[in-house]
Amino acid sequence: MTMHIPDGFLDPITVTFTYGLFLIVVAIALRRVSEKIDPNIISTMTVTSAGIFVAQMLNWTIPGGTSLHFAGGALAAILLGPWLGVLSMTIVLLVQCLVFHDGGITALGANVLNMGIINVFVGYIIYRTVIKLLGVKSSSRTIGAILSGWAGITLAGIACGFEIGFSPQFPYGWQISVPVMGIWHAILGIIEGIITAIIITYIGKKNSELILAERGV
Amino acid sequence: MISKKATLIIAALIVISPIFGVILADLVGYHEPLDVAAEMLGLTDITEQMNWTPFLDYTVPGLPATIGYIVSGIIGVSIIFLIGLLLSKFARGS
Repeated sequence: MTMHIPDGFLDPITVTFTYGLFLIVVAIALRRVSEKIDPNIISTMTVTSAGIFVAQMLNWTIPGGTSLHFAGGALAAILLGPWLGVLSMTIVLLVQCLVFHDGGITALGANVLNMGIINVFVGYIIYRTVIKLLGVKSSSRTIGAILSGWAGITLAGIACGFEIGFSPQFPYGWQISVPVMGIWHAILGIIEGIITAIIITYIGKKNSELILAERGV
Repeated sequence: MISKKATLIIAALIVISPIFGVILADLVGYHEPLDVAAEMLGLTDITEQMNWTPFLDYTVPGLPATIGYIVSGIIGVSIIFLIGLLLSKFARGS
């Protein structure tokens, strides 16, 4: 369920706007994290980034010529909280873009905005809400993580639809691209939710102190 | 310790990654979902015209696709660990 936008898809206004948002949010994240920085949390963040990077390399091929892979934005948000989650996903997306050309350089702002910011914040808010409503227990972790993974991917897909839809290269406008991307990612997001839930439920049983979103970070 | 365990899991995933990223993809003719969408929507991908990295799409020049994919995984994870190391040095320093 990847949505790495390549170069050539976005118009200059969208490129400028998404880069602006990306730089502002990452600057805020760096500032907030550096205020109460803890080397142990940095190592959790690094391992989370590395795990998400590798998980994104595992494409589950679907006969018919497409595939999906785990995206990880909601997982990062639940494990690390929103600001470290944003930084964790930004590191993954930077390495993918700069080293492997997975996602365009002009689209880096948009890709971080979708997968690193929107996905992370939506995932975080949903998980926190479910935990607040149902209490901290294994079943609420499972439900929270499924919804968080699903909604994060779906909204990131919708945002991606808007960005592509605003491109003058795209002949039909966002009225077509938004539903196409939204519906597609809402379907693929179910699997993202299930994988997120398996990982979070497992960590919740073994090392629940690692789930920073439950500590209100 | 969880991070030792996590590191082992990451290493195992890198080793099996070509099964999913290369072999199965070749079997059914894989395309990135967004590329498929782009084709349907009439957009052109100019990735190959403006490339800056020898490791384009997780390949390594001179290596077969499967080995290149594993080496790419190791390169990517090493760079991420290096960034993490620099950040934690910075954290200790501040």
